Amino acid sequence: MKFLGLIVKNIGRNAIRSILTALGTMMLVFVVTLVWAILAFLNVALSEKNANFKAIITERWQIPSQMPYTYASTLCEGAATKPDDVRPMDSMTWQFYGGSIEKDRAKRGMNNVLFAFSLEPIKLLTMMDDLDNLPSATAAVFGKSVKALQDNRQGIILGRTRMETLKKKIGDTFTIYSMNYKDIDLEVTLVGEFPEGRYNNSAAINRDYLLAAMDAYQQKNGKPHAMANKSLNLVWLKVPDSATLGKITAQIESSPLFSNPQVKCETASSGIAAFIEPYRDLIWGMRYLLAPAILVTLSLVISNSISISVRERRSELAVLKVLGFRPNQILTLVLGEAILIGALSGLISSCLTYGIVNFPPPYGFGGIKFPIAFFAAFSIPLAALWWGPALGAGTALVGSFVPAWGARSVKVSEVFSRVG
Amino acid sequence: MPVVSPVILALSLSEFQHLPTRLLIALGVALAIVLVLWAVCEVPLAYNVRNLTVRWKTTIMTALAFTLVLGLMTVMLAFVNGMHRLTENSGQPGNVIILSEGATDEGFSNLGFSDVGDLENQPGVTTTADGKRLCSRETYLVVNQPIENATRGGPQRRFVQMRGVDDPEISGQVHGVTLLPNGRWFSSSGVQEVPGETESAIEVVIGEGVARELSRGRSAEVLATAKNHDRLEIGDVFKIANRNWLVVGVMQSSGSTFDSEVWGKRSVIGPKFGKATYTSLVMRAKDGPEARKLKDLFKKYEKASVNPLLETEYFESLSQINKQFEFGIMFVTVFIAIGGVFGVMNTMFAAISQRTKDIGVLQLLGFGKIHIMISFLLESLVIAFIGGLIGCVLGSFADGLTATSVVGSGQGGGKTVVLKLTVDAISLAYSILLTLAMGTLGGFLPAFSAVRLKPLDALR
Repeated sequence: MKFLGLIVKNIGRNAIRSILTALGTMMLVFVVTLVWAILAFLNVALSEKNANFKAIITERWQIPSQMPYTYASTLCEGAATKPDDVRPMDSMTWQFYGGSIEKDRAKRGMNNVLFAFSLEPIKLLTMMDDLDNLPSATAAVFGKSVKALQDNRQGIILGRTRMETLKKKIGDTFTIYSMNYKDIDLEVTLVGEFPEGRYNNSAAINRDYLLAAMDAYQQKNGKPHAMANKSLNLVWLKVPDSATLGKITAQIESSPLFSNPQVKCETASSGIAAFIEPYRDLIWGMRYLLAPAILVTLSLVISNSISISVRERRSELAVLKVLGFRPNQILTLVLGEAILIGALSGLISSCLTYGIVNFPPPYGFGGIKFPIAFFAAFSIPLAALWWGPALGAGTALVGSFVPAWGARSVKVSEVFSRVG
Repeated sequence: MPVVSPVILALSLSEFQHLPTRLLIALGVALAIVLVLWAVCEVPLAYNVRNLTVRWKTTIMTALAFTLVLGLMTVMLAFVNGMHRLTENSGQPGNVIILSEGATDEGFSNLGFSDVGDLENQPGVTTTADGKRLCSRETYLVVNQPIENATRGGPQRRFVQMRGVDDPEISGQVHGVTLLPNGRWFSSSGVQEVPGETESAIEVVIGEGVARELSRGRSAEVLATAKNHDRLEIGDVFKIANRNWLVVGVMQSSGSTFDSEVWGKRSVIGPKFGKATYTSLVMRAKDGPEARKLKDLFKKYEKASVNPLLETEYFESLSQINKQFEFGIMFVTVFIAIGGVFGVMNTMFAAISQRTKDIGVLQLLGFGKIHIMISFLLESLVIAFIGGLIGCVLGSFADGLTATSVVGSGQGGGKTVVLKLTVDAISLAYSILLTLAMGTLGGFLPAFSAVRLKPLDALR
């Protein structure tokens, strides 16, 4: 305990140096945390689960996937037609409906654009990543929004950021002027919001509303809408294990029902991997160039600071030796100073980063808005709270080891001969 | 490439005359201030340089931090530069691209056959020597290609961008794309019999970038007989959608988005992937002003709802992702730089605390406080400038390297591209400005603290 007190006292002796080192550490830990948060998110998205994982069915050859809606019911059953065929545990269809709440085309832009998932509302609670395992209190609140969307076919649920960008509040009614479903503009009422997090920029509408609007178009115009035969973009299946997925994939891909266009079934992670593939060099650069270079810079900043500190205190270190401190105790003393500064400033940095980045505007950034694939924003994971202290302490250990070894090796006779 | 990088740096320096005026002024002012400080400072610079060499370990470590920060910045800016150049070079100033109404991306556009026929007959479109109108009818689509020998856990397929055109020579002229020697455009049928195969192969010409991408993952047996291990060549065959695709030409399209595309006969490719309509029509006007007139004409076009855009505007709209990357890079650089500034402040504070006696002696010798302050500030700038310059040189080794990325409007769609990292005078100028700013910020407070010392206190 006395030893720790000595370390703390030493840190306080040159307050400016300690503060500057801590501030430098905080800045660099902040950047590394941002980079690692993105990489960690991608790692999770790309990792194959062993059980209860999701599969995606899309058009086999073309991007974006556009399948006839008539495929939906059979695909949701995993193309099971015989009694012994395997069926998925759950399923969900996605149709992408994009538009703007601004009627005037010339004024359309990022502040009024709206892309919504058109789906069966209840699936928001059972099939959507992260929404299917919400804490009970949040799930109860979100459940009410989902119920409202189910009860009101013309409802819409928005993420908090999108709601603020569009300047809408719950209860507001507005029209979405479609961009991909020409002449199918939807009047919607905002009935709820997504929980805080990855869906901050998302929107969901009731699929029955879009389907009814397409039927109405056909009745009015005497011909089906141009999108009628390609309005189904994705089908999600939940399967218990990879063996079941293999069987369902075989059922779907061998079915004559899906020949024009053909479809493919793959794990969600495999599907995401294809979208992330074009960014591979960027991700490589972040992983193996940017983050390591920042860590080296951080080590240099700490190393410099500790080197200076050791150089200035050679006489004092010699006195400590005369007083009976063993070389390893001196080594520990110097390392302890560096590690304590690094760990504390790293902890403060990661806590601030977690809060500032994750809180929605105007209090925070509402996630890291980095344009990789279709991810709107990356949140800082809770694990980042230990990254900071670990990064700070780790780089401090590396950066201060050489100067600390120098302090350990201080020769009393040499120091005092100079002092004399 | 790395070996010629210092040459590239020298060339970049000669490009400084082409810098935007504001940046040139900022750089000129910054360098002028440094030179003026040096000129007016009565304390010889040699004194500082000697001190830097005496404390060489600290000097090197501080300079190394600058090297890393500026090296990183140079590489990151080279990446964004590459993306910008790609979108800038892809659009021809005299071209007008017609998309369907509401579409901002080729991938989401649908133009009817009859509409296209009427659209290209409008006045203002230039013709070739033999009287053909310079109009390129196109169907753009993105398709999945399963990756052969894909690694477990890695991507199992890649996206390939295809452009179906009716007359490849006309399309090549419209887009300013030519073929590398020995290549040819695909035939009017768009297919070719392949000996030993029951089904004909689809003839295509491909960009150099996609030629490299498509060659990734080839098996050892294929590579053993491959003409080129790094990319597909004329005569090579690849598979998509259970068909063989025969490369009959490689496009000289480096530096444009077409470098990442596969071009084939529209009437073959379109139906193959269920795309029966055109996605875009690109027309060549005499020059930029004529293209603007043509665009205005189509704005008033009533027979079909279309979205006419200057091709340069269209590709400019695809640079939205570049801007987001640029913002991200600047954000990261600023925070790393601030971290570096704290580092150099530490060094300079330590330098001053070690030399309080020197400061006292300098004051007693008659050097003014302001000169002592400038002297320490210059010392910080020297470390920053040398470290930063080395960073720029090291970063410039990235010039010419290729990387894959995506350009797009940020509203869905987008194009996968192979870009060339480009270190240019502008990014070097920004890097130098940043290093000088870091040196100044890091050195100012310690230098200011130096002049607050009283001579006798300093000597005690």
